[in-house]
Amino acid sequence: MVNQLYITAFYVLFALLAPPVTLGTICKVKARLQNRIGAPLWQPIFDILKLLRKDETLSKTASWVFRFAAAINCSLAIYLVVSVPWLQPKPEWGGIDLFTFVYLLAAMRLFTLLAAMDTGSAFGAFAASREATLSFLVEPASVLSLASLGIVSNSPQLNIIFGFHNMHAFHPGLWAISGTALLLASIVELSRMPIDDPTTHLELTMVHEAMLLEASGRNLLLFEYANTLKLTVLFGLSAQCYLHLIPLPVDSRWEVYAIGSVVMLLVVAVTVAVFEALAVKLHWTKAPDFIAYAITLAVIGSILALGAGGI
Amino acid sequence: MSLSLNDLVAFSIAVCAILMVGSTHLRLNIFLFSLQTMLLVYLSTLYAHHHAEEHLYLIALALFALKAVGVPVFLLRIIRQVHVQRDAGTLLSAPIAMHTALAFLAVSYMLARQLPVPPSAGLGWPGATAAISLVCTGLLLMLTRRIALSQIIGFLVMENGIYLFGLTQTRGMPMLVEMGVMLDVLVGVMISGLLAFRIQKSFEHIDVSMLVDSKE
Repeated sequence: MVNQLYITAFYVLFALLAPPVTLGTICKVKARLQNRIGAPLWQPIFDILKLLRKDETLSKTASWVFRFAAAINCSLAIYLVVSVPWLQPKPEWGGIDLFTFVYLLAAMRLFTLLAAMDTGSAFGAFAASREATLSFLVEPASVLSLASLGIVSNSPQLNIIFGFHNMHAFHPGLWAISGTALLLASIVELSRMPIDDPTTHLELTMVHEAMLLEASGRNLLLFEYANTLKLTVLFGLSAQCYLHLIPLPVDSRWEVYAIGSVVMLLVVAVTVAVFEALAVKLHWTKAPDFIAYAITLAVIGSILALGAGGI
Repeated sequence: MSLSLNDLVAFSIAVCAILMVGSTHLRLNIFLFSLQTMLLVYLSTLYAHHHAEEHLYLIALALFALKAVGVPVFLLRIIRQVHVQRDAGTLLSAPIAMHTALAFLAVSYMLARQLPVPPSAGLGWPGATAAISLVCTGLLLMLTRRIALSQIIGFLVMENGIYLFGLTQTRGMPMLVEMGVMLDVLVGVMISGLLAFRIQKSFEHIDVSMLVDSKE
């Protein structure tokens, strides 16, 4: 019982702390690789505080959808953080299955698209069309990579697939391939490099940031925070896949898993940052080539899962 | 029934080949081919260790020296000399070709399940799947590329597939056969590499799709 209490405290603490720090780590590592000092690790927290103090400007054509979308986006993201096992050990509450997870992400995207088109800005609508294109291209990769893990675990519940009592289901090749497919898919879902450069000055070419051009003040805060949470959940899930590569003893104490998953999350964040610093943004027509790699790895993972056991 | 280490290494060789089809960057292709051959070397030593077959160690050594290091270095030199970086590709674009290779992987899985499982070879089918898909992928690589160098790489991938089939199904062919095959491959690569260089000198490109009309 005392253990459960500690686990819950750990999870709540890190669910609050990890998202801004993960984003901060990516920005910091990227800055260092570009020979800049870079903002401190907790800069995202300062940004949140700054946005809280700002006034808000609303477009005249914006309807209630615009405000509603930001709120529902943020609440869906918080729901994902408490129910998806992106950090182990996770307390018992709130499990969802992999399809709910993928389509809740799609629901978040739907509301962002609605908000982007609601304000009547041409940039927003452009970006919305790009985001919609990317999302339907990448969907097979994210569903199949999670499904292949579900096949070997004989369950669609994310809590069971990633649970640490499932560590003995030791398929290192499958975890590596599906984890990489999931990581590539998350890069596309979050529209980061090489699909899109979130730090460029050209709003016309951007995907995620161009959709939020009209948002300001607390509205922007809600969108940004939702996106940070989504980033942490997606990268955290890939980190969990890589953590399963390490044959930890089945009866380890929960602290081992806790330290392992935090370290692995940081490793994934640093890897993504290094990759982003080295990569060049792909031409828009080349984006499907990149997604094709994610889909290929996911399909290979499924073939491996079907062959190796499960069903 | 979970996969053993051998089966996983065999599978990752096939994965390397499929990723090669997806990239038209010649240097990346050569690196992936080298990585694939290194994995093949590792698999050979694993088999040699498991079944106590000394001659597999020698074959692995020759594979490493010739195909994992020698041939890639030679091909990289040719690339530097003929100044090509990318392959334009024909007929199928790279992502579609990669998905076709996936379909081949599925087909070879079905074929491999039909094969009789050899005694003392473990599960049997994972190695056979990887080997058949490697042959198909090499063929696909040769068919969908324009540059003569990519076709050499495709040929080498096919050869790796045949070796992998022999290794996983029959614990490797006799030393003499294997050495002969390797010598043939080496000479073939040398000749076709020099040929590519000559084509570049006479026609100022190595695009084979423009070599269809014969000149009197």
